[in-house]
Amino acid sequence: MANQELDRMLARMARAKVNRRSFLAASGLAGTAAFLAACARSGASPSASGTAPSAGASAPSASASAAAGGEIEDELYIYNWSDYIAPENIEKFEADNGLTVTYDTFANNDELLAKLQAGGGGYDLACPTAEYLRPMIEGGFIDKLDFTRLPTFAHMDPDLLSQSWDPNNEYHVPKDFGTTGILVRKKIVTEPLTSWQEFYDLTTGKYSGRVVMVDSLGDVLVMPLKMLGYSLNETDPAKLDEARQLLMDLAPHILALDSDTYQDKLASEEAVLCLGWTGPLVELRANPDTADTEYVVPSEGTLFWLDVWVKLTDGPNPNAAYAWLDFIQEPDIQAAETEYNGYATPNVEAKKLVSQELLDDPAIFPPEDVMSNLEGADPAATDDETRIAVWADFKSAIG
Amino acid sequence: MTGPAAGRRGPSRSSIATGILLLPAGLWYVLLLVAPLLIVVLFSFGEKARNGGYEPAFVVDNYGQVLARPDPFLDSLRLATIGTILTMLIALPLAYFLATRVGGRKSLLVLLLVIPFWTSFLIRTYSWLIILGPRGAAGFIGDAIGDPAFRILGTEIGVLIGMTYGYLPLMIFPLYVTLERMDRSLVEASKDLGAGRWASFRQITLPIILPGLITGSILVFIPMMGEYVIPAILGYGRTFLIGNALVLDFLEARHWPAGAAKAVGLIALMLISISAYLWFLNRGRRTREVSVL
Repeated sequence: MANQELDRMLARMARAKVNRRSFLAASGLAGTAAFLAACARSGASPSASGTAPSAGASAPSASASAAAGGEIEDELYIYNWSDYIAPENIEKFEADNGLTVTYDTFANNDELLAKLQAGGGGYDLACPTAEYLRPMIEGGFIDKLDFTRLPTFAHMDPDLLSQSWDPNNEYHVPKDFGTTGILVRKKIVTEPLTSWQEFYDLTTGKYSGRVVMVDSLGDVLVMPLKMLGYSLNETDPAKLDEARQLLMDLAPHILALDSDTYQDKLASEEAVLCLGWTGPLVELRANPDTADTEYVVPSEGTLFWLDVWVKLTDGPNPNAAYAWLDFIQEPDIQAAETEYNGYATPNVEAKKLVSQELLDDPAIFPPEDVMSNLEGADPAATDDETRIAVWADFKSAIG
Repeated sequence: MTGPAAGRRGPSRSSIATGILLLPAGLWYVLLLVAPLLIVVLFSFGEKARNGGYEPAFVVDNYGQVLARPDPFLDSLRLATIGTILTMLIALPLAYFLATRVGGRKSLLVLLLVIPFWTSFLIRTYSWLIILGPRGAAGFIGDAIGDPAFRILGTEIGVLIGMTYGYLPLMIFPLYVTLERMDRSLVEASKDLGAGRWASFRQITLPIILPGLITGSILVFIPMMGEYVIPAILGYGRTFLIGNALVLDFLEARHWPAGAAKAVGLIALMLISISAYLWFLNRGRRTREVSVL
């Protein structure tokens, strides 16, 4: 049986499905990043929600939107996470516009940034995680967008826009988003659990020693700050001191800080609560022994990550790039994307076309009442010294 | 007839040759050891740049931080010392057995010792998660002593087991080499002269293998001081060593100067502890000619 466990662990590592969160997920172990990032995958496998309707087929031709910039070129070069666009949408775009899409992949944001710093590579579009917008803007790698050429941008959920990474919404079109939340083994934890406060009380109480948290400062700090009613990007030392106190009281009750194998701790019931990401859910739910695992988006609000489309300055096919950015956010096209990759769409019109099964899954779409409490990570806060000091104290106290 | 001339030219040619032969090693040391060390020291007095990294400055705050949070240093020192002693206790009998008791199957057994280490370090460390986990050793011991909450993973014991296992070969091989070269007749002579087993081990074998023991313990101690993967995996992230503090500074905080100051602190701590160790050993054998290192 031990063999099976090892097999499973190795299989998961080998799958190496690119993880859009790897730069956070594996940060604690980034020295061995390539290997471990693969373990911390947060991707839903495309086949997991294989109920894709034939949305792509019914789309009206809309390539007219490229009008402003002139002729659409014969090529389009996209640099993206692997397996992150529905193939039928690429085919449809190629057929509609008579061009060829070349889709190359990167393994993490740092690889993308390194490529741009080394001189690009001639791509038209890329999809970094939003925290990487600032270095890309400051490096002059991406263009301000001409939104008059992107009518479908109007479908974007305003709750996800105007974040610290692009306060005036000049540089990006949102692609997909996801949240940090609580994984819970319902079979064992029968108490109501909808908020960070309840999570905290259960951790310091009944389930002491059976709680795992991802080894990531930006995610763990969300809990105390949101319990106190502050922004999760808080940098005020006095407020962070309150958060430090909560964390210090929590420290002796934590089983592990682990971004890479927390699903195994949940599966073995060594841990029954987890502050983490949605990644392992597909696997846990697929196994009858662990199918009781649920995901809770805490009601006080939480952190969300956002992958964004950006237009690269040295792209050779600007008109095709604009045509794509508009095309991909047409509601039916975007709905097909969501069905394919299993991530939440920022497109409110597309959401209306997504199957009920996905809509009802809090691991994909946060409940309506929480949407306005979502916050993105402010690049200025992620490496704030006081926050780092709180985190270092917590890590020292936990052992 | 060309003899004298050749004789005069000889030394200069050979000194050029010596210079050329030493050049790669010299460049190696300057480019990959001296220069990086100087950069680390330089960075440790700097400030964090806006998007992370290093910005030139001259501040000593970073060292103040090192002194303000000494726990990771002390924990690393303690665990590396215990770990080194554990590897020594396991490696010594094993190396002795391999070098003296197995005859013709020696190379086969040495090979068997090496083979597991052809597997990735991470895979081997992950395997310990299963061996020591609640369905492995910890569960077994927990049942035996009637404590279902008994655990090895997530404790310092788990980290020590992982570190001892991981670095054991670095201790075995230096010991094995010195033991294999040892002249067995010396031990026989000591026994002829009336020494018991313990006396001949202490007075004959131990002094001869001491260089191997010292090499092995330094080879083991240094990586244990900087270890960060094993505490993260087998320690469940609950054991926060200096390696983990460095990862936090460089990769999460992107505060290179703070990390550089801790790196300098780590180097200083290792120099001090290794010097103390060598001084202690040398004092114990002042009359001997065997040179250390």
